[in-house]
Amino acid sequence: MVILFIILPLIIAGLLPLLGKVSKKVLPDFLANAVFALLLGYSFNFAWNASAGKTILSQVNLAGIPLGITLRLDALSLLMLFTIALVSLGVGIFSVNYINQEKYSSKPIYYSLLLLTVAGMNGIVLSNDLFGIYVFLEIAAIASYALAAYGLGKEELEGSFKYLMLSVVATSFILLGISMIFALTGTVELNGIASVLAYSKAIKIKYLIGICSALFIMGFGLKSAIVPFHSWMPDAYSKAPATLPAMSSGIMVKAAGLYVLIRLFYNVFGITPAVQTVLMYLGVISIVVGALLALGQNNLQRLLAYSSISQIGYMVVGFAIGTPLGFIGALFHMFNHGIFKSLLFLNSGSIENATGTRELDELGGLAKKMPVTAGTNIVASLATAGVPPLNGFWSKLIIIIALVQAKFYIFALIGILASVVTLWYFLIIQRRAFFGKLNETWKDVKEAPFWMSLSSIMLALICIILGIAFPWFIRLWIEPAANVLVAGIIR
Amino acid sequence: MNIDILLFPILLPLIFAVMGLFLKSKKLINYWAVLGSAAVLYCAYVLFGIKQASLVLPWLGHGIDFDLKLYGFNAAILLWVNIFTFLVVLYSTIKMETSTRIKEYYLYVFLTVMFANGSVLADNFVLFLFFWGGLLITLYMLIMLGNLNSYKTALKSLILLGLCDFCLLLGVVLLWKISGSLKISAISLEAQGLAMISFLLIMIGAIGKAGAMPFHNWIPDAAIDAPVTVMAFLPASLEKLLGIYLLTRISLDVFHFQMNSPVSIVLMTVGAITIVFAVMMALIQKDFKRLLSYHAVSQVGYMILGIGTGTPLGIVGGIFHMLNHAIYKTGLFLSSGSVELAAGTTEMKKLGGLMKSMPVTGLCFSVCALSISGVWPFNGFVSKEMIFHGSYETGYLIFTIAAWVGAIFTFASFLKAGHSIFFGAKSTEIPEVKENSWPVLVPMIILSAFCILFGVYSILPLKLFILPALSGHPEVLAELTFTHNLSLLNPIALISMGCLVIAFGLHYLGVKKGQGKAYLASEPVHNLPIIKTIYNLAENRVFDFYEQGVKLIKLLSKVIYYTVDRPIDFVYERVVTVTGRIVIFILRVLHNGRFANYLSWSLAGLMALGYVMGTLIKKAG
Repeated sequence: MVILFIILPLIIAGLLPLLGKVSKKVLPDFLANAVFALLLGYSFNFAWNASAGKTILSQVNLAGIPLGITLRLDALSLLMLFTIALVSLGVGIFSVNYINQEKYSSKPIYYSLLLLTVAGMNGIVLSNDLFGIYVFLEIAAIASYALAAYGLGKEELEGSFKYLMLSVVATSFILLGISMIFALTGTVELNGIASVLAYSKAIKIKYLIGICSALFIMGFGLKSAIVPFHSWMPDAYSKAPATLPAMSSGIMVKAAGLYVLIRLFYNVFGITPAVQTVLMYLGVISIVVGALLALGQNNLQRLLAYSSISQIGYMVVGFAIGTPLGFIGALFHMFNHGIFKSLLFLNSGSIENATGTRELDELGGLAKKMPVTAGTNIVASLATAGVPPLNGFWSKLIIIIALVQAKFYIFALIGILASVVTLWYFLIIQRRAFFGKLNETWKDVKEAPFWMSLSSIMLALICIILGIAFPWFIRLWIEPAANVLVAGIIR
Repeated sequence: MNIDILLFPILLPLIFAVMGLFLKSKKLINYWAVLGSAAVLYCAYVLFGIKQASLVLPWLGHGIDFDLKLYGFNAAILLWVNIFTFLVVLYSTIKMETSTRIKEYYLYVFLTVMFANGSVLADNFVLFLFFWGGLLITLYMLIMLGNLNSYKTALKSLILLGLCDFCLLLGVVLLWKISGSLKISAISLEAQGLAMISFLLIMIGAIGKAGAMPFHNWIPDAAIDAPVTVMAFLPASLEKLLGIYLLTRISLDVFHFQMNSPVSIVLMTVGAITIVFAVMMALIQKDFKRLLSYHAVSQVGYMILGIGTGTPLGIVGGIFHMLNHAIYKTGLFLSSGSVELAAGTTEMKKLGGLMKSMPVTGLCFSVCALSISGVWPFNGFVSKEMIFHGSYETGYLIFTIAAWVGAIFTFASFLKAGHSIFFGAKSTEIPEVKENSWPVLVPMIILSAFCILFGVYSILPLKLFILPALSGHPEVLAELTFTHNLSLLNPIALISMGCLVIAFGLHYLGVKKGQGKAYLASEPVHNLPIIKTIYNLAENRVFDFYEQGVKLIKLLSKVIYYTVDRPIDFVYERVVTVTGRIVIFILRVLHNGRFANYLSWSLAGLMALGYVMGTLIKKAG
C-alpha cells in the first residue's frame, strides 16, 4: 500500500480541524505525531525490498477502478520518504510544546498544515508523472506559505509573500517546461518520456530539451534555493515559526527541488555534460556565496538559511559529478543535512521560546541556563561544519573525495575552504549565543520544555550515531538509492 | 619457568622498582632498596664468576634480536655498576631521608640500574640503544628530584645528552649500512672513510655520556641543583663506566685504528682539551660540589686520552683510570654529601676545620683526594702513570704535557678544598657539627679502602677487571709489562711528582696571598692577566654551547617570526579578512529585501542558463 504515504497524512490533515473542536491540544499532538511515527515505521517495511534494487509501480484504484495515476517506489524515493518521516517526526515532537506560544493561534490547523506539507512531499517523491509532481509540489508549497506566515507578524507576512511570489514564478516556469515536454513526447509519465526521448536523436529535440532543462533548473533550483534563485529563503525563514524552516530547509528543498532535478536529469532526460557543468558551477557558487553571506548575519534563522544555501551547494556539486561516489556523498549529505539543519533551526526555536528573540546581539551565555540546547547545538554545528567523527564529516569527505577522483581539484579545494568558513560562523554562533558573558536580561531563562528537548536530543543522537555507524547506514539506505541514479534512464 | 640468568640483572631491578611503588612506610622502602641493590649486586657477582654466557631471543626481526652477551670485560663493568649502586643506595637511606619523593627516587634508581645493566650486557646495537636511551630519561627524572631550579638543568642534560644519543644513533645506522650487521661482537672494521665517520659519531655518544667537553655543561649545574646522591650515582660513577665502556668497545672491538692515526689524534685532542679546560674551571670553584663536578669532567679527559693513544699501556691505563675515577669520585661526592648533611652547606667559604668533628669523612676525603691527584701509592697514581707513559710513547709530547698540567691543577684544587673544609681554622659561620651515622660512612670507607688497595696492589684489579677488555687482542697483551709502576725512579714518574710539588707551592703561595684564607688559594691563578678574561667569559657561559645555542635559536625564531610569520599573518589578518568583509558587504547590500530585485535575479539567471545550455549543446553536438 504505497498510497498510504500520501493518503494517511492527507486524511488526518482534513480531520484535524474538525477534531480540534473537541480537543484543542492533546489530540492533535498525538494524532499528528502518530502519523509521522507510522510513516517512519512504514518506510522500513519497504527497506529490504528497495535495497535489493526492486522498483514497485502501483496503479492507484478508486474502488476497483484504476485511475490514470501510478506511484513509483524505488530506493531513491524510499530514502526521501524515510528522511521526510524522520525529520517531520522530530519537528512534530518539537511542536508539542513550541506551538503553545501565544502568537500561534490554533494548534489543529498548524498540524494539518504540517501534515499537508508532508503529504505533498511524499506525493512528489512517489509520483511517476510530471503533472503529479507539479500538483503535489503546489500542495506542499501552499501549506508552507501558510506556515511561514503563521505568526501573522508584519515581517512574517512579508517573507511569506516573497516566498509565494517567487515560488509562483518558479512553478509557472515549471509548468511551462512540463507542457513543452508533453508537447514533445505526448506523455507526462516519467518512463514514457524517458523511452520516447531515448529513441529521438534529432538535434532540434536536444535544443528543446535543453530549454526545458533550463526551465526546470530555474524552477526547481528556486525551490531548492540554489544561487541565484535563493533569495526567498532568508526572508521567509527569518521570522517564521522555527518549525517551518526546520521542515523546509530540512526536507522540502530536497524533496521539492533537488530530488526532482536529479530524478529528471539522471533517470528521465539522461544526463548531458552541459547540465552537469551548469549544475557544478551553480553548486560551487552556492557553496561560496551562502557561506560568505552566513558570516555577516545577526538573525539566527537568517544565518541558518544562508548556511542551508551553502550546504545545498555541496549536494548539487555531489550530484553533478555523476560518479557513484558522488551520488553516495550527495545523498548521504542530503539525509545528514536534513537531520542537523532541522536540529539547528529547532534550537533557534528553543532559544526564541525561552528568550523571545533570535538576534545574536541580544543573546549570550545561554549555555549555563540551557545546557541541552547548547549541547545539541554544538553537535549539530560541528556536524554541519564537517568535524569528525560526526555524520556531516563523512558525507562532506565523500563528496570531496569524489571531486578529487573526478579531477575537480579546484572545486574540492573550494569545498574544503568553505567548510572552514562554515566552522567559523558556527563558532560565532556558539560564542555569541551560548558562551561568553551571560546577558543579564536572561538570568531567569529556563531550559526548553520536555518535548522540545527530547526532539533535540533525538536528532543530535542521530548525528553522533551516524558518525560512528555510517558504513551500515550507507549500505542499507544510501547505496541502493545511489544505484538507482547510477542505473540511468528508467524503462 | 626457565629464565636465563643473563636476564636477572635486567629483570630484578625492574621487579624491585615496581614493587617499591606499593610500599607505604619510608623505612620499609629504604630496606627494600638496600635489599634490592644487594640482590642485584649478588647476581652481578655470580655473573662475574661465570664470565662467559650469551642469550639470543627473537625480538623485532630484521637482525634486531634481544641479544645479550657476557664476557670478561662487561662482567667486570656489570659488577662495578652494581657495587656503586649498592653503596649509593646504602648512603641514600640516610641522605635522602628528608626527601618527600623517596619512592620516586628509588624507582628511578632501579630503572637506571636496569637500563645500565641492559646496555652493558646488550650485544645488539638496537637493543643497546634502547637501554642507553632509557638512561637519558631516568637521568632527567633523577635531576628533577632536586631543588626548584632543577628542571632547567634537567632539560639541559636531556638536550645535551639527547644530542649525543642522536649522534650515536646516526653512527649506529651508518655502521649498519657499512657492515650489514647489528650484532656488536660480530662487527670488526678498520676505522677509515665512512667507518671513521661512524666511529666518530658513536664516539660522541660515548664521551658525551662520560661527560667530556663540550658535552659537560650540565654536570656543574646539576652539582648544585640535583641531589648529591644522584651526582655520585650517575655523573661520577655509572655514566663514566658506561661511556668509557662503550668507547673501549668501539675502539678495541668494533673498530680498529693504529697508533697516531687521525682517529687517535682526534681522541687524544678531545681528551687533552677536556683535561686542561675542565681542571682550570675546577680550580677557581668556591663550592665543593661544583669543584668536584668539574673534576668529574676533567678526569674523563685522562680516560679518553689514554684510550686514544692506541698504545697498550695507554688503553689499559685509560680503562683502569675509569674504574679508579669511579671509585674515588663517588667517594668524594659522598663525602661532600656527608659534609652537606652535617653542616648544611658545601660552600668552602663557610666551612672550615671539620676534621676534628668529622674525622671519618675527613679521612676518606683525604684518601680519595690524594688518589685523584695521583699521589703514590694510591690508585690514581698507577692509572695516571700508565696514561702518561702511553701518551709519551705516541711521540706527541704536547698531550703528555697537557696531562701533567692537569695533574698540577688537580692537586692544587684539592689542596684548596681540603685545606678550607677539613683543615685550617674552625669556621664560625656554621653550628657545631657531628659525624654522620654508619650508612653514610660505610660506603665512603669501602671506597677509600679500594683506593688504597688498588694503588698498592694494582696488579689485582688489572688482572681481574681490566685485562679481560683486551681479550682477543693477544698482540696487545704480549707487550704489556707492569714493572714501571713499581719503579718510582723513571723520568716520567719523577716529572709527575715534580708536578705535585709545583701544585703544593702554588697552593702555599695562594694561601699566603689570601691572608691565610684557604678558599682564596686559587685567586692568584684566577687573577692572571689574560686568564682572568677567559675565566670571566667562561663564568658568563660564553663557552657554554648549550646556552649559546639556546640564544641562537631564540634569535632565529625571532627572525623567522618577523620575516615569515608576521607577513603571513598580515595576509590573513588584513588582506583576507578585509576582502572577505568587502565581499560580504556587497552581498548584503544586494540582498536588500526588494521583491523586484530578487525576481529579476531569478529571471536573469534563467536567461543566462538558457544561453549557457544552448552554447554547451551546440559545442557538444
